Amino acid sequence: MTKMPPRPNLAGSRVAASKGVAFSSNPILQVKLPAWRSRFVLFVLFVAFVALIVRALWLQGVSTDFLQKQGASRYARTLELPATRGKITDRNGQVLASSVPVKAIWAIPDDVQAAPKDKLVQLAKLLEMSDAELRKKLDSDRSFVYLKRQVEQDTADKIVKLGIPGVETRKEYKRFYPEGEVMAHVVGFTNIEDAGQDGMELAAQKTLAGMTGSRRVIKDRLGRVVEDIESIREPHDGRDLTLSIDSKIQYIAFTQLKEAVEKFKAKAGGIIVVDAKTGEVLALANLPTYNPNDRSVLTGAQLRNRVVTDTFEPGSTLKPFTVALALDTHRVTPSTVFQTAPGKMTIGTATIGDSHAHGPLTVAQIIEKSSNIGTAKIALGMPPEEMWEMFTTVGFGQQPKFGFPGAVAGRVRPYKSWRPIEQATMSYGHGISVSLIQLAHAYLIFARNGDIIPLSFTKVTDSPIGQRVISADTALQMRRMLETVVAPGGTAPQAQVPGYRVGGKTGTAYKIEGGKYVRKYVASFSGIAPMSDPRLIISVMIDEPQGQHYGGPVAGPVFANVAANALRALNVPPDSSVTNIIIPKEPLEESM
Amino acid sequence: MTGRLCLLLTALLVACALSVVSAQYKARSLFIELERAQSAARQLDVDWAQLQLDQSTLGKNARIEELARRDLNMMPVTAARTQYLTVGAQ
Repeated sequence: MTKMPPRPNLAGSRVAASKGVAFSSNPILQVKLPAWRSRFVLFVLFVAFVALIVRALWLQGVSTDFLQKQGASRYARTLELPATRGKITDRNGQVLASSVPVKAIWAIPDDVQAAPKDKLVQLAKLLEMSDAELRKKLDSDRSFVYLKRQVEQDTADKIVKLGIPGVETRKEYKRFYPEGEVMAHVVGFTNIEDAGQDGMELAAQKTLAGMTGSRRVIKDRLGRVVEDIESIREPHDGRDLTLSIDSKIQYIAFTQLKEAVEKFKAKAGGIIVVDAKTGEVLALANLPTYNPNDRSVLTGAQLRNRVVTDTFEPGSTLKPFTVALALDTHRVTPSTVFQTAPGKMTIGTATIGDSHAHGPLTVAQIIEKSSNIGTAKIALGMPPEEMWEMFTTVGFGQQPKFGFPGAVAGRVRPYKSWRPIEQATMSYGHGISVSLIQLAHAYLIFARNGDIIPLSFTKVTDSPIGQRVISADTALQMRRMLETVVAPGGTAPQAQVPGYRVGGKTGTAYKIEGGKYVRKYVASFSGIAPMSDPRLIISVMIDEPQGQHYGGPVAGPVFANVAANALRALNVPPDSSVTNIIIPKEPLEESM
Repeated sequence: MTGRLCLLLTALLVACALSVVSAQYKARSLFIELERAQSAARQLDVDWAQLQLDQSTLGKNARIEELARRDLNMMPVTAARTQYLTVGAQ
């Protein structure tokens, strides 16, 4: 410390600075104030500080969460990251269903009321509704009304451009089905919220639907995102689904079925095409159908996927299973003879019959001519249990496992309750009910040398392992018999395919209404093509055909046309040089 | 000595502060760019889906058949009019 210079006389030196009175001699200093006044000031200051501290504690400690939230809401935003529903494609990658972003137009009615008239007129025009309709929608007490949903992007942009206060848009998705009615029953459809309602859209809802994500961001003054403030919850788009369907074959099947249904003025029809090598469903069509892009008018009949959800008495298409069982258990050979004359047979109190009396027939001829009596005689030589087991192993009466919504099991009564007459009628497909898809599935045992594999609606990559039902020899013998059905002497010469050896079995059955058989028919045909190395199984069902009702002339040509075109589409080489088809003038009518 | 050190540290501090500001600014503008690129990618995805859809709509079998029959006067092949060639045959 340096030594301070001697203090000069303060009174003297500061005189010039002030107005004649030095600080130390200020008269105010002389005033004696009571001590409490300064203490009072001090106290007031102290209280003020305490108030500040309490306030600070209040803000920092107690209401900090609320305040921080308020602050964050002024710059931070949570954005929803939408996920797209997966596409559905056919086996060759052609898109069958795809979601495209569209806009929902909504409004705050109170705000819109103030808008100029001409703008509302324009809005109504863009929304494709009348002025009155629009006004009715806006005349609401609610603070939120949808004006129209699923508006396409271009139109939505024009609506935004109108700049009507209170009219807003919201992003949503619309599902488009380019193949329309042709593919309707396989693909199904989604509702307005993009959730699957029918067909594969419903069956694969879990994998098709995406998971929406979200992120929290900071936005700047201009509304631009400048920073993420939390980790992003990534959106997961739905996975694409590749179906086993071949859209070319599907189209062929659909048009041929449509032609037949129109020709015979039938009530309905169904067709399914299965790849015998992989168990994939290549085509599945139903009539009547609907356009999934415009579902404003829909009836139950249109929605019904008859192939999968409807059961019917298959009739003669079931005979091959009875005969195959008898052959496989060596009870008969293809040349064993059964007497079917006089075309009638009485079992217990009931009588069954053939449409024509045939006389003695070999087992092979029983299939060719579709004799009920012959089949019944073969069946009655076997225990009911074995027949029931056969039907059950090929899937009849069993809940199908091909993952399609609404698939039905059909009905095969337990063998313990079978009476002989029932066993006889069941052997030729009466008193038993199956769906068309089950029938096509069961025919796999003939097409695949005796084993059966599960059906699949999605593309199969590795060949499935089959479960053996009958021996390969029996399957081959059965295929030879099925081939005779489409020969000029059989019940379905109309099912011949130029260039290919094919085979199959016709079916004609009465329908049951109110527990009684009525004079209405279901004509069906299940066939295999080509015979030398089976590739396709095609099952056709025509419900209540008019004019004709036998399976051969009604369903046979559908099979033939589909087989011819589908085999060509699949590049299957022809296995026959026959290109001219002989259809006898009066073909054989089968028995019912 | 201490005064100079203080001055130096202050200058350093100011420089650091400025670089933080500029880095933040850069980060934000890059982020905006990234955002823009991502939304462009999303838009392209949407366009792609739309184009695929258009391809399917325009290429659907019903339309092709109609055009082939009506405009090009084509008809389906039949086995009778087809000549099959076997590989290796004379």
